[in-house]
Amino acid sequence: MENIKDFKYLPEKGFKGLVKSLLSDYKVFGTIEKDGFPAFGELSSVEELVLSSTPTHLSAKEFLFPQREVLLKFNIKKATHEPVIEARKQVLIGLHPCDIRGLNLMDRVFAHGVPDPNYLARRDQTIVIGGDCMPDDYCFCKSLGNSEVIEGFDIFLHALGKGFLVRTGSEQGKALLSQYAVTREPSAREFREYQERKAQRDSSFKASLEAAPSELPEIYSRANEAQVWERIGAICTGCGSCNNVCPTCYCFDVKDEVKASLVEGERVRTWDGCALEDFAKVAGGHNFRKTRAERLRHRFNRKFRYLSGTFDSLFCVGCGRCSRTCLVKINIVDVTNEIIREYHNK
Amino acid sequence: MKLYGNIITNNAEEFGNSHMESPYLPSLGIIERSIRVSEKERLFTISPTNESLLKYRPGQFYMVGLPGYGEAPISITSGPGEKKIELCIRAVGNLTNAFHTLRKGDNIWLRGPFGRGFALEELEGKDIMFVAGGIGIVPMRSLLKAVLARREKFGRLTLIYGSRSPEEILFAEEMDGWASLGMDVQLTVDKSAPGWKGNTGVVTTLIPKVEVAEKNIIGVIIGPPVMYRFVILSLNAKGLGAEDIYVSLERRMKCGVGKCGHCQINSIYVCQCGPVFKMSELKGMPEAI
Repeated sequence: MENIKDFKYLPEKGFKGLVKSLLSDYKVFGTIEKDGFPAFGELSSVEELVLSSTPTHLSAKEFLFPQREVLLKFNIKKATHEPVIEARKQVLIGLHPCDIRGLNLMDRVFAHGVPDPNYLARRDQTIVIGGDCMPDDYCFCKSLGNSEVIEGFDIFLHALGKGFLVRTGSEQGKALLSQYAVTREPSAREFREYQERKAQRDSSFKASLEAAPSELPEIYSRANEAQVWERIGAICTGCGSCNNVCPTCYCFDVKDEVKASLVEGERVRTWDGCALEDFAKVAGGHNFRKTRAERLRHRFNRKFRYLSGTFDSLFCVGCGRCSRTCLVKINIVDVTNEIIREYHNK
Repeated sequence: MKLYGNIITNNAEEFGNSHMESPYLPSLGIIERSIRVSEKERLFTISPTNESLLKYRPGQFYMVGLPGYGEAPISITSGPGEKKIELCIRAVGNLTNAFHTLRKGDNIWLRGPFGRGFALEELEGKDIMFVAGGIGIVPMRSLLKAVLARREKFGRLTLIYGSRSPEEILFAEEMDGWASLGMDVQLTVDKSAPGWKGNTGVVTTLIPKVEVAEKNIIGVIIGPPVMYRFVILSLNAKGLGAEDIYVSLERRMKCGVGKCGHCQINSIYVCQCGPVFKMSELKGMPEAI
């Protein structure tokens, strides 16, 4: 049960002061408006921030796991190389619960087994300030228990009519608030307003799953032969947009780029996607997931089953981005609900 | 170290994780020898500049690269404990064609060893049937060397090795040595050629003829992706079950450390949990074989 003591009240003016201070000390990215849609972008003034929006088209993963990043620089003549870690201090403002949940999962992946120094250094240099959102037709985070987050951020902002109720999620968050802003204890009325707004948001979800999240790995494990794979495989164009926009798709390719001098170059990693045709193809030409149906089955299972044992969590956060962006309207909620119904009818 | 469900990897703790600092940073190897061993394959002998590269089990692999060309997973073909690394590489693409231009004194980049190799202690006291197809003999050779180095610890040994044609047979000159150490070596080719006196036909034609002592035989399969299903059926017919059959699986790989996703089969990453698996570990994974 939420307690008023978990929150502070941050007046509008204090919030603006906080963002202005951050802007003078750090590179700041936040939710802004681009071409009429909410999007993440570099912030130059607090006025550009758009809070309490519907989800951004792209996820926030690019700030920690960029679409292209250098892993090492090499010199072909000298046969030398040095590791490159491109991390700089940055602040992300306005991340929705789904975005933060996605980052929490990425954190686990890149720290697991052999840790990935590039991701972890960047994560270490990142301050996360979360913010409320409004669900659209595709959002279903509530079905997965992800509509609120209690970890993975430094500060979380709940917008009120005037000012914010804020929650801190780390020592760094507390320090930032006390360094850059003046807060006070919230009044009972302010806390009530927060709860009313939350209830209103909770009742605005249109899409939902027809099973509890804990049941999904088992349900998916029985769906290898489900008809839905052939059906969506037949319309999928294999464009990989679902992989690009997903906050928990972390697969990558590694390739070398050589400068025109043919002496120096860089080994870079770029996003890759399991929906793409060549993803599982080996040198001899054999493709271990030859059909689009197999590739989609792999992708959906990766979100709801394959990683759940290792990371003790589903890898779908319920942001709906894959459905929102799909060129042929493959909808992750519809597909999953069909699998759920088939499971119960068996 | 527990990773990915119930599959235990043996590289991280046992081998001290030489690649922990940045797992993407390769070590330099110096080519000592490069010899053409068939139309498409070259055998490289490499001196590592980093001793920890030599701490490998049969079945493990390196990410092998050249600056400007990238990296690919390549199986180790030398035996464990040897002071030089041997890699046998087929030229099939940009990177592997570039490898083929390397000569004595040239540099090659290596990361690893990665994955889980064969646990020899699990094979001790057993008869073993090794079934290799094509360049599957390359990683198999590392295992054969390890087993033959301690020949007395194992029972009856049979190698069934299938190639497309007699001229594609790799390590033919070593086969007599293997046989003299007490291994029954049976070769077969898909397509015969003048002078070929051995068997003609796929490897599964030879499996039924192998004598199998009850409940004490292990099958090891390494070959092209299409081969596994048929060989497994043949071994099943000989009474070998999922606990008695080991396979080494090929997959696309970009990182070697369980991140890039290319080698994923269901909940496991082949680069970390494999490439060697007991068939029983692949239960419920229709994409594995």
